[in-house]
Amino acid sequence: MAQKTSGSDGAQEDLETLFARYLRTRDPQLRDRLVLMHQNLVRYLAGKFMNRGEPLDDLVQVGMIGLINAIDRFDASRGTKFSTYATPTIVGEIRRYFRDKAWSLKVPRRLQELNQAASKAQEELRRTLGRPPTIQEVALRLGASEEETLEAMELGNAYDTVSLDSKMSGDGENTATSLADFLGAEDDSLTTIDAYGDLDSALDALDPRERAIIVHRFFSDMSQSEVAKQLNISQMHVSRLQNRALQHLKRLMNNDS
Amino acid sequence: MSQADTVELVIPCRPEYVGVARLAVLGIASRMPFSYDEVEDVRLAVGEACTHAVERAGSSEAKIKIVSTVDPHSLVIEVTDDVPAGAPVAAPVDDTQLLADGVDTQGLGALLMEILVDEVKIAAGQSGTTVRLTKYAPE
Repeated sequence: MAQKTSGSDGAQEDLETLFARYLRTRDPQLRDRLVLMHQNLVRYLAGKFMNRGEPLDDLVQVGMIGLINAIDRFDASRGTKFSTYATPTIVGEIRRYFRDKAWSLKVPRRLQELNQAASKAQEELRRTLGRPPTIQEVALRLGASEEETLEAMELGNAYDTVSLDSKMSGDGENTATSLADFLGAEDDSLTTIDAYGDLDSALDALDPRERAIIVHRFFSDMSQSEVAKQLNISQMHVSRLQNRALQHLKRLMNNDS
Repeated sequence: MSQADTVELVIPCRPEYVGVARLAVLGIASRMPFSYDEVEDVRLAVGEACTHAVERAGSSEAKIKIVSTVDPHSLVIEVTDDVPAGAPVAAPVDDTQLLADGVDTQGLGALLMEILVDEVKIAAGQSGTTVRLTKYAPE
Protein backbone atom coordinates (compact mmCIF):
# COMPACT_ATOMS: atom_id res chain seq x y z
CA MET A 1 0.00 0.00 0.00
CA ALA A 2 2.78 2.39 0.97
CA GLN A 3 4.61 1.48 -2.16
CA LYS A 4 1.51 2.10 -4.25
CA THR A 5 1.02 5.51 -2.67
CA SER A 6 4.58 6.59 -3.34
CA GLY A 7 4.19 5.14 -6.84
CA SER A 8 1.15 7.27 -7.60
CA ASP A 9 2.82 10.30 -6.06
CA GLY A 10 5.69 9.71 -8.39
CA ALA A 11 3.26 9.41 -11.28
CA GLN A 12 1.64 12.64 -10.18
CA GLU A 13 4.98 14.38 -10.17
CA ASP A 14 5.85 13.07 -13.60
CA LEU A 15 2.46 14.21 -14.80
CA GLU A 16 3.06 17.76 -13.65
CA THR A 17 6.41 17.83 -15.42
CA LEU A 18 4.83 16.44 -18.56
CA PHE A 19 2.03 19.00 -18.53
CA ALA A 20 4.46 21.84 -17.89
CA ARG A 21 6.55 20.65 -20.82
CA TYR A 22 3.51 20.32 -23.05
CA LEU A 23 2.38 23.83 -22.10
CA ARG A 24 5.76 25.14 -23.33
CA THR A 25 6.37 22.98 -26.36
CA ARG A 26 2.91 21.94 -27.62
CA ASP A 27 4.63 18.80 -28.83
CA PRO A 28 1.99 16.55 -30.48
CA GLN A 29 3.83 13.40 -29.37
CA LEU A 30 3.71 14.59 -25.81
CA ARG A 31 0.01 15.25 -26.18
CA ASP A 32 -0.52 11.70 -27.45
CA ARG A 33 1.25 10.42 -24.38
CA LEU A 34 -0.93 12.50 -22.08
CA VAL A 35 -4.04 11.26 -23.86
CA LEU A 36 -2.99 7.64 -23.42
CA MET A 37 -2.23 8.25 -19.75
CA HIS A 38 -5.76 9.47 -19.14
CA GLN A 39 -7.83 7.17 -21.27
CA ASN A 40 -8.88 5.28 -18.15
CA LEU A 41 -10.48 8.43 -16.80
CA VAL A 42 -12.48 8.78 -20.02
CA ARG A 43 -13.49 5.12 -19.92
CA TYR A 44 -14.55 5.44 -16.31
CA LEU A 45 -16.70 8.50 -16.96
CA ALA A 46 -18.14 7.18 -20.23
CA GLY A 47 -19.11 3.99 -18.40
CA LYS A 48 -21.36 6.04 -16.13
CA PHE A 49 -23.53 6.97 -19.12
CA MET A 50 -23.73 3.48 -20.53
CA ASN A 51 -27.36 2.68 -19.82
CA ARG A 52 -28.64 5.50 -22.01
CA GLY A 53 -28.45 3.23 -25.00
CA GLU A 54 -25.36 4.42 -26.86
CA PRO A 55 -22.42 2.05 -27.45
CA LEU A 56 -19.64 2.56 -24.90
CA ASP A 57 -17.06 2.94 -27.67
CA ASP A 58 -18.93 5.94 -29.08
CA LEU A 59 -19.10 7.54 -25.65
CA VAL A 60 -15.38 6.93 -25.11
CA GLN A 61 -14.64 8.54 -28.47
CA VAL A 62 -16.52 11.76 -27.73
CA GLY A 63 -15.06 11.70 -24.22
CA MET A 64 -11.59 11.60 -25.79
CA ILE A 65 -12.38 14.85 -27.62
CA GLY A 66 -13.14 16.40 -24.24
CA LEU A 67 -9.91 14.98 -22.87
CA ILE A 68 -7.84 16.46 -25.71
CA ASN A 69 -9.48 19.87 -25.21
CA ALA A 70 -8.73 19.66 -21.50
CA ILE A 71 -5.10 18.72 -22.12
CA ASP A 72 -4.71 21.68 -24.46
CA ARG A 73 -6.09 24.13 -21.92
CA PHE A 74 -4.69 22.71 -18.69
CA ASP A 75 -2.18 24.73 -16.72
CA ALA A 76 -0.65 22.63 -13.93
CA SER A 77 0.81 25.67 -12.22
CA ARG A 78 -2.68 26.70 -11.06
CA GLY A 79 -2.67 23.88 -8.58
CA THR A 80 -5.70 21.96 -9.84
CA LYS A 81 -5.44 18.21 -10.34
CA PHE A 82 -5.77 17.32 -13.99
CA SER A 83 -8.55 14.75 -13.39
CA THR A 84 -10.57 17.42 -11.57
CA TYR A 85 -9.96 19.88 -14.36
CA ALA A 86 -10.72 17.45 -17.19
CA THR A 87 -13.83 15.75 -15.79
CA PRO A 88 -16.32 18.57 -16.53
CA THR A 89 -14.92 18.90 -20.06
CA ILE A 90 -15.13 15.16 -20.74
CA VAL A 91 -18.61 14.78 -19.21
CA GLY A 92 -19.73 17.94 -21.01
CA GLU A 93 -18.69 16.44 -24.32
CA ILE A 94 -20.54 13.19 -23.58
CA ARG A 95 -23.72 14.97 -22.50
CA ARG A 96 -23.62 17.22 -25.54
CA TYR A 97 -23.40 14.11 -27.67
CA PHE A 98 -26.70 12.88 -26.22
CA ARG A 99 -28.26 16.29 -26.61
CA ASP A 100 -27.16 16.74 -30.22
CA LYS A 101 -28.45 13.33 -31.15
CA ALA A 102 -31.88 14.41 -29.90
CA TRP A 103 -31.66 11.16 -28.06
CA SER A 104 -35.00 11.61 -26.35
CA LEU A 105 -36.76 10.85 -29.61
CA LYS A 106 -35.05 7.51 -29.86
CA VAL A 107 -35.66 6.34 -26.34
CA PRO A 108 -38.87 4.54 -27.17
CA ARG A 109 -37.01 2.54 -29.79
CA ARG A 110 -34.28 1.52 -27.36
CA LEU A 111 -36.83 0.49 -24.78
CA GLN A 112 -38.89 -1.20 -27.42
CA GLU A 113 -35.93 -3.25 -28.60
CA LEU A 114 -34.94 -4.24 -25.10
CA ASN A 115 -38.56 -4.94 -24.27
CA GLN A 116 -38.92 -7.24 -27.25
CA ALA A 117 -35.68 -9.00 -26.40
CA ALA A 118 -36.95 -9.40 -22.84
CA SER A 119 -40.26 -10.91 -23.96
CA LYS A 120 -38.42 -13.30 -26.23
CA ALA A 121 -35.98 -14.29 -23.51
CA GLN A 122 -38.86 -14.78 -21.09
CA GLU A 123 -40.64 -17.07 -23.49
CA GLU A 124 -37.55 -19.10 -24.28
CA LEU A 125 -36.64 -19.45 -20.62
CA ARG A 126 -40.17 -20.44 -19.76
CA ARG A 127 -39.88 -23.26 -22.26
CA THR A 128 -36.49 -24.51 -21.11
CA LEU A 129 -37.15 -24.10 -17.40
CA GLY A 130 -40.76 -25.26 -17.43
CA ARG A 131 -41.71 -22.27 -15.24
CA PRO A 132 -41.77 -18.49 -15.61
CA PRO A 133 -38.18 -17.17 -15.31
CA THR A 134 -37.10 -14.72 -12.63
CA ILE A 135 -36.01 -11.19 -13.52
CA GLN A 136 -32.43 -12.19 -12.70
CA GLU A 137 -32.60 -15.04 -15.19
CA VAL A 138 -34.02 -12.80 -17.92
CA ALA A 139 -31.37 -10.15 -17.23
CA LEU A 140 -28.64 -12.77 -17.40
CA ARG A 141 -29.95 -14.04 -20.73
CA LEU A 142 -30.10 -10.49 -22.14
CA GLY A 143 -26.68 -9.56 -20.81
CA ALA A 144 -28.33 -6.50 -19.26
CA SER A 145 -28.56 -5.37 -15.66
CA GLU A 146 -31.64 -6.22 -13.63
CA GLU A 147 -32.36 -2.52 -13.47
CA GLU A 148 -32.35 -2.13 -17.26
CA THR A 149 -34.40 -5.28 -17.71
CA LEU A 150 -37.07 -4.13 -15.30
CA GLU A 151 -37.13 -0.69 -16.83
CA ALA A 152 -37.55 -2.07 -20.31
CA MET A 153 -40.28 -4.45 -19.21
CA GLU A 154 -42.08 -1.73 -17.28
CA LEU A 155 -41.72 1.25 -19.60
CA GLY A 156 -41.37 -0.64 -22.84
CA ASN A 157 -44.88 -2.06 -22.64
CA ALA A 158 -46.35 1.18 -23.93
CA TYR A 159 -44.27 0.88 -27.07
CA ASP A 160 -44.44 -2.83 -27.52
CA THR A 161 -44.89 -4.01 -31.05
CA VAL A 162 -45.15 -7.69 -31.84
CA SER A 163 -44.77 -9.46 -35.14
CA LEU A 164 -47.95 -10.99 -36.53
CA ASP A 165 -45.90 -14.09 -37.20
CA SER A 166 -44.70 -14.38 -33.62
CA LYS A 167 -45.47 -17.80 -32.26
CA MET A 168 -47.98 -18.01 -29.50
CA SER A 169 -46.92 -20.21 -26.63
CA GLY A 170 -49.75 -22.68 -26.62
CA ASP A 171 -50.01 -25.27 -23.89
CA GLY A 172 -51.04 -27.88 -26.41
CA GLU A 173 -49.03 -29.59 -29.12
CA ASN A 174 -50.08 -27.04 -31.70
CA THR A 175 -46.97 -24.86 -31.61
CA ALA A 176 -47.37 -23.52 -35.13
CA THR A 177 -50.00 -21.05 -34.00
CA SER A 178 -49.02 -17.48 -34.70
CA LEU A 179 -50.45 -14.28 -33.33
CA ALA A 180 -52.12 -13.55 -36.67
CA ASP A 181 -54.33 -16.61 -36.20
CA PHE A 182 -55.90 -14.96 -33.19
CA LEU A 183 -56.75 -11.74 -34.93
CA GLY A 184 -60.14 -11.36 -36.54
CA ALA A 185 -60.56 -10.19 -40.12
CA GLU A 186 -62.15 -6.87 -40.86
CA ASP A 187 -65.86 -7.22 -40.21
CA ASP A 188 -67.55 -6.53 -43.54
CA SER A 189 -70.97 -6.10 -41.96
CA LEU A 190 -69.61 -2.97 -40.25
CA THR A 191 -68.85 -1.32 -43.56
CA THR A 192 -72.36 -2.11 -44.86
CA ILE A 193 -74.13 -0.59 -41.86
CA ASP A 194 -74.63 2.63 -43.77
CA ALA A 195 -76.24 0.75 -46.65
CA TYR A 196 -78.69 -0.91 -44.25
CA GLY A 197 -80.26 2.44 -43.56
CA ASP A 198 -81.05 2.77 -47.24
CA LEU A 199 -82.33 -0.80 -47.42
CA ASP A 200 -84.73 -0.17 -44.56
CA SER A 201 -86.49 2.66 -46.31
CA ALA A 202 -86.43 0.76 -49.61
CA LEU A 203 -88.11 -2.23 -47.97
CA ASP A 204 -90.87 0.04 -46.74
CA ALA A 205 -91.58 1.02 -50.31
CA LEU A 206 -92.18 -2.59 -51.42
CA ASP A 207 -95.67 -4.07 -51.52
CA PRO A 208 -96.45 -6.28 -48.51
CA ARG A 209 -96.01 -9.61 -50.28
CA GLU A 210 -92.68 -8.70 -51.86
CA ARG A 211 -91.48 -7.41 -48.52
CA ALA A 212 -92.57 -10.62 -46.78
CA ILE A 213 -90.59 -12.71 -49.29
CA ILE A 214 -87.44 -10.64 -48.89
CA VAL A 215 -87.66 -10.71 -45.09
CA HIS A 216 -88.31 -14.47 -44.96
CA ARG A 217 -85.65 -15.31 -47.49
CA PHE A 218 -82.81 -13.03 -46.43
CA PHE A 219 -83.47 -12.14 -42.81
CA SER A 220 -84.97 -15.40 -41.56
CA ASP A 221 -82.87 -17.58 -43.85
CA MET A 222 -85.88 -19.53 -45.11
CA SER A 223 -85.70 -21.51 -48.34
CA GLN A 224 -87.92 -20.68 -51.28
CA SER A 225 -90.10 -23.72 -50.64
CA GLU A 226 -90.50 -22.79 -46.96
CA VAL A 227 -91.56 -19.31 -47.97
CA ALA A 228 -93.94 -20.83 -50.53
CA LYS A 229 -95.54 -22.94 -47.83
CA GLN A 230 -95.77 -19.96 -45.47
CA LEU A 231 -97.45 -17.71 -48.05
CA ASN A 232 -99.42 -20.58 -49.54
CA ILE A 233 -98.14 -19.98 -53.06
CA SER A 234 -95.99 -22.05 -55.42
CA GLN A 235 -92.24 -22.03 -55.20
CA MET A 236 -92.03 -20.79 -58.79
CA HIS A 237 -94.17 -17.88 -57.78
CA VAL A 238 -91.90 -17.12 -54.81
CA SER A 239 -88.92 -17.16 -57.15
CA ARG A 240 -90.56 -14.75 -59.57
CA LEU A 241 -91.77 -12.39 -56.81
CA GLN A 242 -88.38 -12.49 -55.19
CA ASN A 243 -86.60 -11.50 -58.41
CA ARG A 244 -89.05 -8.71 -58.96
CA ALA A 245 -88.65 -7.51 -55.36
CA LEU A 246 -84.86 -7.52 -55.65
CA GLN A 247 -84.99 -5.54 -58.91
CA HIS A 248 -87.36 -3.15 -57.21
CA LEU A 249 -85.04 -2.75 -54.21
CA LYS A 250 -82.03 -2.20 -56.42
CA ARG A 251 -83.81 0.55 -58.29
CA LEU A 252 -84.98 2.23 -55.11
CA MET A 253 -81.56 2.15 -53.51
CA ASN A 254 -79.76 3.38 -56.63
CA ASN A 255 -82.15 6.31 -56.81
CA ASP A 256 -81.46 7.18 -53.21
CA SER A 257 -77.73 7.39 -53.73
CA MET B 1 -48.99 18.46 -7.65
CA SER B 2 -49.74 21.71 -5.85
CA GLN B 3 -47.78 20.92 -2.69
CA ALA B 4 -44.70 18.84 -2.01
CA ASP B 5 -44.87 15.06 -2.12
CA THR B 6 -42.29 12.98 -0.31
CA VAL B 7 -41.10 9.48 -1.08
CA GLU B 8 -38.81 7.60 1.29
CA LEU B 9 -36.78 4.52 0.54
CA VAL B 10 -34.37 2.66 2.81
CA ILE B 11 -32.00 0.15 1.24
CA PRO B 12 -29.13 -1.97 2.54
CA CYS B 13 -25.83 -0.22 1.80
CA ARG B 14 -24.73 -2.88 -0.69
CA PRO B 15 -23.98 -2.72 -4.43
CA GLU B 16 -26.88 -4.95 -5.47
CA TYR B 17 -29.39 -2.46 -4.04
CA VAL B 18 -28.04 0.62 -5.80
CA GLY B 19 -30.05 -0.39 -8.86
CA VAL B 20 -33.22 -0.42 -6.74
CA ALA B 21 -32.56 3.18 -5.70
CA ARG B 22 -31.86 4.16 -9.30
CA LEU B 23 -35.10 2.57 -10.50
CA ALA B 24 -37.12 4.31 -7.80
CA VAL B 25 -35.51 7.64 -8.67
CA LEU B 26 -36.34 7.07 -12.32
CA GLY B 27 -39.99 6.81 -11.39
CA ILE B 28 -39.88 9.78 -9.04
CA ALA B 29 -37.95 12.08 -11.39
CA SER B 30 -40.44 11.23 -14.12
CA ARG B 31 -43.06 13.06 -12.05
CA MET B 32 -41.16 16.29 -12.81
CA PRO B 33 -41.33 18.18 -16.12
CA PHE B 34 -37.84 16.91 -16.98
CA SER B 35 -36.56 15.68 -20.32
CA TYR B 36 -35.33 12.13 -20.61
CA ASP B 37 -31.71 13.28 -20.35
CA GLU B 38 -32.47 15.28 -17.22
CA VAL B 39 -34.19 12.31 -15.60
CA GLU B 40 -31.16 10.20 -16.46
CA ASP B 41 -28.84 12.85 -14.99
CA VAL B 42 -30.71 12.75 -11.68
CA ARG B 43 -30.67 8.99 -11.70
CA LEU B 44 -26.93 8.92 -12.35
CA ALA B 45 -26.27 11.46 -9.59
CA VAL B 46 -28.24 9.42 -7.05
CA GLY B 47 -26.46 6.28 -8.21
CA GLU B 48 -23.12 8.01 -7.58
CA ALA B 49 -24.18 9.11 -4.11
CA CYS B 50 -25.27 5.56 -3.24
CA THR B 51 -22.17 3.98 -4.77
CA HIS B 52 -19.90 6.12 -2.68
CA ALA B 53 -21.82 5.24 0.45
CA VAL B 54 -21.42 1.58 -0.49
CA GLU B 55 -17.69 1.98 -1.03
CA ARG B 56 -17.29 3.50 2.42
CA ALA B 57 -19.57 0.98 4.12
CA GLY B 58 -17.38 -1.99 3.28
CA SER B 59 -19.00 -5.14 4.65
CA SER B 60 -20.89 -3.44 7.48
CA GLU B 61 -24.63 -3.59 8.08
CA ALA B 62 -25.07 0.00 6.96
CA LYS B 63 -28.21 1.36 5.34
CA ILE B 64 -28.95 4.14 2.91
CA LYS B 65 -32.06 6.29 3.25
CA ILE B 66 -33.22 8.13 0.14
CA VAL B 67 -35.79 10.87 0.72
CA SER B 68 -37.16 12.48 -2.43
CA THR B 69 -39.27 15.62 -2.27
CA VAL B 70 -41.17 16.56 -5.37
CA ASP B 71 -42.75 19.98 -5.69
CA PRO B 72 -43.70 22.09 -8.72
CA HIS B 73 -40.36 23.92 -8.71
CA SER B 74 -37.76 21.38 -7.77
CA LEU B 75 -36.82 17.83 -7.02
CA VAL B 76 -34.72 17.41 -3.88
CA ILE B 77 -33.18 14.05 -3.13
CA GLU B 78 -31.33 13.40 0.11
CA VAL B 79 -29.14 10.34 0.22
CA THR B 80 -28.15 9.59 3.81
CA ASP B 81 -25.98 6.72 4.99
CA ASP B 82 -25.05 5.68 8.52
CA VAL B 83 -21.39 5.04 7.76
CA PRO B 84 -19.19 7.19 10.05
CA ALA B 85 -17.09 9.76 8.23
CA GLY B 86 -13.47 8.81 7.83
CA ALA B 87 -14.19 5.13 7.28
CA PRO B 88 -11.67 3.62 4.87
CA VAL B 89 -12.85 3.55 1.27
CA ALA B 90 -12.91 0.21 -0.43
CA ALA B 91 -11.54 0.46 -3.95
CA PRO B 92 -14.18 -0.64 -6.41
CA VAL B 93 -12.89 -3.30 -8.75
CA ASP B 94 -13.40 -1.36 -11.96
CA ASP B 95 -11.62 1.72 -10.61
CA THR B 96 -8.33 0.13 -9.56
CA GLN B 97 -6.61 1.37 -12.69
CA LEU B 98 -7.80 4.90 -11.95
CA LEU B 99 -6.57 4.70 -8.38
CA ALA B 100 -3.20 3.55 -9.67
CA ASP B 101 -3.23 6.67 -11.87
CA GLY B 102 -3.62 8.72 -8.70
CA VAL B 103 -7.26 9.67 -9.34
CA ASP B 104 -9.55 10.03 -6.33
CA THR B 105 -12.80 8.41 -7.44
CA GLN B 106 -14.75 9.68 -4.42
CA GLY B 107 -13.83 13.23 -5.40
CA LEU B 108 -14.63 12.39 -8.99
CA GLY B 109 -18.08 11.16 -7.99
CA ALA B 110 -18.80 14.39 -6.14
CA LEU B 111 -17.63 16.35 -9.16
CA LEU B 112 -19.85 14.28 -11.43
CA MET B 113 -22.88 14.96 -9.22
CA GLU B 114 -22.20 18.69 -9.40
CA ILE B 115 -22.16 18.55 -13.17
CA LEU B 116 -25.39 16.54 -13.32
CA VAL B 117 -27.70 18.44 -10.95
CA ASP B 118 -28.15 22.09 -10.00
CA GLU B 119 -27.04 21.89 -6.36
CA VAL B 120 -25.02 19.42 -4.33
CA LYS B 121 -24.52 19.69 -0.58
CA ILE B 122 -22.46 17.09 1.20
CA ALA B 123 -22.49 16.94 4.99
CA ALA B 124 -20.24 14.30 6.56
CA GLY B 125 -20.38 13.56 10.27
CA GLN B 126 -19.81 10.86 12.87
CA SER B 127 -23.27 9.40 12.37
CA GLY B 128 -23.01 9.29 8.60
CA THR B 129 -23.03 11.34 5.41
CA THR B 130 -25.89 13.16 3.73
CA VAL B 131 -25.74 14.12 0.08
CA ARG B 132 -28.46 16.59 -0.85
CA LEU B 133 -29.13 16.85 -4.58
CA THR B 134 -31.41 19.52 -6.05
CA LYS B 135 -32.63 19.76 -9.59
CA TYR B 136 -34.88 22.66 -10.54
CA ALA B 137 -37.82 22.36 -12.88
CA PRO B 138 -37.36 24.23 -16.17
CA GLU B 139 -39.01 27.67 -16.31
